[in-house]
Amino acid sequence: MKKTLTLYLICLVVMSSCAPSRFVKPLQKNQQAVNVALGGPLFEYSDVVIPMPFLSASYGYGFDSTLTGFAALNVSAALFGNLQMEIGATKQVLKQSGYVPAISITPVANLIYKNKDAKKFYPQLDLNAFWEFNQNRNLFYAGVSNWFELAGKKAHEQEQTNHWLISPHIGQTFIRKRWDFTIEAKIIAPNISYESNVVDYKSPLGKRGAFGIYFGYTRKF
Amino acid sequence: MKRTTIQILVLFIFSIVIAGCQKLDDNLFNPNENKITEYQLNNYKGEVDFKLPESYQISNDKVHLFTLESKAADEAEATTIHAVYIGDRQRIATDTVIMYCHGNKDHMDFYWPRAQLLANVNGKNNYGILMIDYRGYGLSGGKPSEKALYVDVTTALAWLSSQGLTSNRLIMYGFSMGSIPATHLTAEPVNLKPEKLMLEAPIASAKVMVQDATGLATPAAFVTDLKIDNVEMIKKVTQPLFWIHGTKDDFLNINTHGQLVFDNHKGSFKEAHKIAGAGHSNIPLEMGFQNYLQVVGNFIRR
Repeated sequence: MKKTLTLYLICLVVMSSCAPSRFVKPLQKNQQAVNVALGGPLFEYSDVVIPMPFLSASYGYGFDSTLTGFAALNVSAALFGNLQMEIGATKQVLKQSGYVPAISITPVANLIYKNKDAKKFYPQLDLNAFWEFNQNRNLFYAGVSNWFELAGKKAHEQEQTNHWLISPHIGQTFIRKRWDFTIEAKIIAPNISYESNVVDYKSPLGKRGAFGIYFGYTRKF
Repeated sequence: MKRTTIQILVLFIFSIVIAGCQKLDDNLFNPNENKITEYQLNNYKGEVDFKLPESYQISNDKVHLFTLESKAADEAEATTIHAVYIGDRQRIATDTVIMYCHGNKDHMDFYWPRAQLLANVNGKNNYGILMIDYRGYGLSGGKPSEKALYVDVTTALAWLSSQGLTSNRLIMYGFSMGSIPATHLTAEPVNLKPEKLMLEAPIASAKVMVQDATGLATPAAFVTDLKIDNVEMIKKVTQPLFWIHGTKDDFLNINTHGQLVFDNHKGSFKEAHKIAGAGHSNIPLEMGFQNYLQVVGNFIRR
């Protein structure tokens, strides 16, 4: 029974990990960007382990050189009949100084809507440290994405014990004048054990968390 | 720019194709992973959860393969499903019969050792055993669905009734996915009303499956239209309940699934068997066939 339900449910975790960090470094003032991101947790497909190819698209606008607002749509979730959106902002709070990295924080509101009985709001807070190098043509970042479950109860009035999904990640962005390309690796929710669970996630931590790989392409204008 | 657009388009199509492969509700059902062209039962050499010693084997004269025409009230045409009855068909009017609802994998050949083992409860062929392949399983026609589980088991019970079985001699047994029709048709019987309900590694609900997987209080409706809810359904069951579950079940967690079903049973009698070290598919093997037969037999006899 296990095998197919693994596929059946693995997409769920994608909902909480469907994308890489949207904007680690804010855009320039009045600069706009569109981004498409593809990827997700690793899973086995036809005996090959690949990242779940879930697709999302986002738009960002630089309010000033330290603050970028963005909105994103999870395209793959829409295929399941769910409207899944992110609305957030990236604020750079510290400039890079030599080896001391720049720091940005990104609060995000994740909204998922299926119908009046199936809707969710997940707050998210990403923290990133980043270093630009090679004449600012490369950006390396490391950080954590934090998802928060606000519900106190889950199905059948059972207590919801997991309220914080922490997902550490590292990524590399190749910066060009009009476009960026990003690759990011993330360990999704290593603080949660899937020891006795329907899903066999692929994780370097065994039965804890899942390992995801994401690719992002950003066009700036 | 044109090249980039094409690349994005390819990624988008790839995403759709993969997502399309995952039609979620269909993925509950896993029929015919090991395809068969005929039922072999005692002679089946394919994958099974466990093999029985020869002493538990049932002689071929007690094994009856046949077909049933399964049709819901709102269906125009019936679907042919396959069934196997273990025992003496002429004695259904007087025997106690266990309706065995199998899990979501493969077909009756895969579950044959389990059905055969039950045919040894309280002595060889003491009880009749009926097992069917739901639509889409084994050689049964049609396509699997949640609704088909109820319709096909109802059809099987109607056949038992037509052979003379009465409600007071019917034991309903559901393993894993089979707990869905077993619980539903014990709570809301269509024809025969089972005297007792036995659940091995039952599913709590579609909601629990989804939430166990995410670790979040995610609405199940985000990914499935399945309405499976044994937790609600078991509240309507007043008949005695037998629940058996492996403590190491890594598929349907004993605490989030089985215990929840057990706790919500409101009938006057229920008994739980938590099998230390057993997983999802090896309870009889882990506890020992004789021990398994003993606890099952005691419950049916009480």
